[in-house]
Amino acid sequence: MRAADCTVFFLPGLGLNADAATPVERELDDRFRVITIELPGQGGAPDAPDGSTEAQVDAALAAIAEHADGGAWMLCAHSMGGKVAARLAARVRDGDVPVFGLAGLMLLAPSPPTPEPMPDEKRQQMLSWVDDGSPIAESDARTFVDDNVGASLDPAVQADVLEAVQTMSPVAWRRWLEQGSTEDLSASVGVLDLPCTVLAGDQDDALGAAAQPALVADVYPRAHVVPLVGAGHLLSYERPVEVAHAITALWDQIVAHRAPVAPEWGRLIASPRVTPRVRATLARRALSDDPAYRPRVLNSAQLELLRAIADRLVPQPSGGRIDLAARVDADLAAGGGDGWRPAGAPSDAEAYRAGLDDLRGAWPSTPDEQDAVIRAVAEGEGVPGASQEPEALQSWFEDLRVDVVREWLSHPASLVRVGYDGFATGAEDAAFAGYLSLKAGERDEWEPAELGTVAGAPEEDV
Amino acid sequence: MNLDGMKTYDLDDSVDVVVVGTGAGGAPLLARLAERGLRVVALEAGPNHEPAEYTPDEIDATTINWMSSRFSGGDAPTAFGPNNSGFGVGGGTVHWGAFTPRPDARDLRLRSETGRGADWPVDHAELTRYVAEVEEYIGVSGPAHYPWDPERTYLYGPPSRNAAADIMMTGASALGIRATDAPAAILTRDRDQPHHGLRHATTNVGSIHQGERHGAKATTAITYLPAAVAAGAEIRPDAVVHTIERDARGRVTGVVYRQDGEDRRQRCATLVLAGGGVETPRLLLHNGIANSSGQVGRNFLAHGAVQVWGRFDEQIRGYRGYPSALITEDFVRPAGADFAGGYLLQSLGVMPFTYATTLVRGGGLWGDELMRELEASRYTGGIGMNAECLPAEGNRLELSSEEDEWGLPRATISFSPGENEKAIDAHAIGTMTDILTAAGARSTRVLARTAHTLGTCRMSDDPGEGVVDGEGRSHDIDNLWVCDNSTFPSALTANPGLAQMALSLRTADRMLAGR
Repeated sequence: MRAADCTVFFLPGLGLNADAATPVERELDDRFRVITIELPGQGGAPDAPDGSTEAQVDAALAAIAEHADGGAWMLCAHSMGGKVAARLAARVRDGDVPVFGLAGLMLLAPSPPTPEPMPDEKRQQMLSWVDDGSPIAESDARTFVDDNVGASLDPAVQADVLEAVQTMSPVAWRRWLEQGSTEDLSASVGVLDLPCTVLAGDQDDALGAAAQPALVADVYPRAHVVPLVGAGHLLSYERPVEVAHAITALWDQIVAHRAPVAPEWGRLIASPRVTPRVRATLARRALSDDPAYRPRVLNSAQLELLRAIADRLVPQPSGGRIDLAARVDADLAAGGGDGWRPAGAPSDAEAYRAGLDDLRGAWPSTPDEQDAVIRAVAEGEGVPGASQEPEALQSWFEDLRVDVVREWLSHPASLVRVGYDGFATGAEDAAFAGYLSLKAGERDEWEPAELGTVAGAPEEDV
Repeated sequence: MNLDGMKTYDLDDSVDVVVVGTGAGGAPLLARLAERGLRVVALEAGPNHEPAEYTPDEIDATTINWMSSRFSGGDAPTAFGPNNSGFGVGGGTVHWGAFTPRPDARDLRLRSETGRGADWPVDHAELTRYVAEVEEYIGVSGPAHYPWDPERTYLYGPPSRNAAADIMMTGASALGIRATDAPAAILTRDRDQPHHGLRHATTNVGSIHQGERHGAKATTAITYLPAAVAAGAEIRPDAVVHTIERDARGRVTGVVYRQDGEDRRQRCATLVLAGGGVETPRLLLHNGIANSSGQVGRNFLAHGAVQVWGRFDEQIRGYRGYPSALITEDFVRPAGADFAGGYLLQSLGVMPFTYATTLVRGGGLWGDELMRELEASRYTGGIGMNAECLPAEGNRLELSSEEDEWGLPRATISFSPGENEKAIDAHAIGTMTDILTAAGARSTRVLARTAHTLGTCRMSDDPGEGVVDGEGRSHDIDNLWVCDNSTFPSALTANPGLAQMALSLRTADRMLAGR
């Protein structure tokens, strides 16, 4: 059996447990490893120290850190788990947790980071089921399931769900209804700009297909909302095939637009040798590019040409694909520069627009001809019909060449490629910062094995 | 740095001295003046950095650099930004390489010796006394025996040699070139720094140009500036000076600076400009003062800093360890050379994006050749030089017509190497290539580069030849001083940081003596 390409950490909804992932897991191929996280008070897990979403996130993060293999992972989060996932993804984005590799979000009728739109009478009814502090009765569990499905479940499946609801901690149930679901986490969640698919049933009320587009728009700019006709709220039970297909499709899209980071290096990035600031930076750069990226400084013709030029200037190793041109455009839009411009040059954005327009007329179709054009511009010979002097074109093009290689090299997969682990040297405790071994061919114990032999250790056959 | 509880002055107070800039030029002087009881305020254009937030990431780390664009022209346009320009409390010392050779006596007498360039109106023995004071105060480490100055001693043993240093030592030894561990403002043992606290011995991080959080590398933010604050100086970060105000007689009365989106005026009896070789002349030209000589912005000097890289069989990974751990001064005056001045050589460690940028700009690489070279970078070790530079007519700083984010005209700097610079380059490339080849390099590659921003407000005895006198005082305005490496009459073969801190203490003492 080969190692999985992607770990799917499954976060169940309120009242559910690890069994909720089982129908989906059955439908996934061996590229995926599914790990279900029992949230506090569910599936036999102990209650959290308090009723906050943050406490649920802490528990989920501990489980992810324990089971992570250093490779890519995604969250598949249902309902209440969606709110946990949002805050969890924000903490991964901010780098302050010892994990790395979050590649995408698969959200099933997710609760939003804002207070959940739940009718008060429904909240009161659900609270009444745990009024006396004892577990939920079977009849109430049946009501819960009936209220949350679009059509009846298979009897065996239904028995699983009823069992899960009845064994749920009444404390955790009450806490979610009274506290977790009412918290407004939008400030700390912010924007989660990563690949994201949202599934929602059209028979679901508050968190259904009609409601989700507005709920997710501000939080997940890349969200793709897919309505499931006839489905209610318990999507992993009701529609495991569609959920598995959506996970597979999301992963395929990620793979087509990313450069993978080797697991040994992913574990290093997750380790305490890396500061939160650096981890956040590397996590952001490691995200797959948005195939629907809309340029902000260039027009789409200029972006396409820049992609073609970037392919010649920085031919990327096989097995990965970084949209260098889109990243250059995003940096131009952010207004960043390198501290200087060629004398007399316009702003970087204007120089890019003018330069690419000049090259467009002269850009040939075959790689050899393209290289000839690049050589002519780089060596100051210019191109026919250009609006600017060859020297101006040459200066701008030198900046472009640096920009493109910067976008490539700053990606953690590229740092792996060139054998650079200096990002892992800034730990707060000086005892875990920097290097001990500096000699040629040698490495420290914490460094990836390919970087040399550990000083003093016998050389191993590889 | 910690600015809590710092003494503060009202804008209405006319303080004794305002210092613009907190790097190697401004900080030692600020501390000296404050310790002697003067009421001093430093205005720093950039923010007050939190050392825990320093990042080895070369892209993100540019928060410590002056990233507002300068225009760069000439045959060898100077790359600004991370290469040479600081921003924030500590100025350029936050990103400097901490490579601390001492100025050579011959370099201060370049014109007397060769008839070219300019002499320094500074006594070498006096400067060296200040250098030694700085070395002790900031903590400079170095070898027990310095071949080119046997009298010299260092406080601590040198930083460990990395693989790049080992290579250079192997090659130099084989050729009979003397080389040794480089003097560096890097602690090799823990030290308690007055008014700052514990500074850790180096962890051998290679990312010191991106800021170093444990205090092994001396910056003014953990040495002179805490001392200045303890003695009653005020440091105002995020304060961009744009106007120098004067009275009817032309003497400075104060400055206007932009902070928090507002213009604020600080009155002062004396003004010291310490913004470096670009910002100081830019401010003077913008205000149209202190330029009766016409020399403001002229004589821009950049150290020749060409590099040669060799490919080896083993992984060198020069991003580990102190980046310039080995030095030779054998070429400060090479025998039989056909040029004025000379150069130092240092072993080179390098960070990946800095190296890639040099491959693109200095080596002209792209496409498959670039990618092959990047993938082989871990097997690559280098040597770099720091070389004398002569002033030339066309090498200068002027104001452009474009305004920056603070409404100041952007600077345009032109630099083209002259025949002397080219001759030094050729000589050094030969030497470096020989050393690498002798060390077993399979192939070598030359990458063009220059470093530092010097000379644009040079000091001179003759008021017609420079902007300030040999003490740093403006020839035109008696309560205006310049204290940064814009005052360098020649580039020196030594890197400028240490010399600048020494000059800063010297200028402070001259100011105090004149009161």
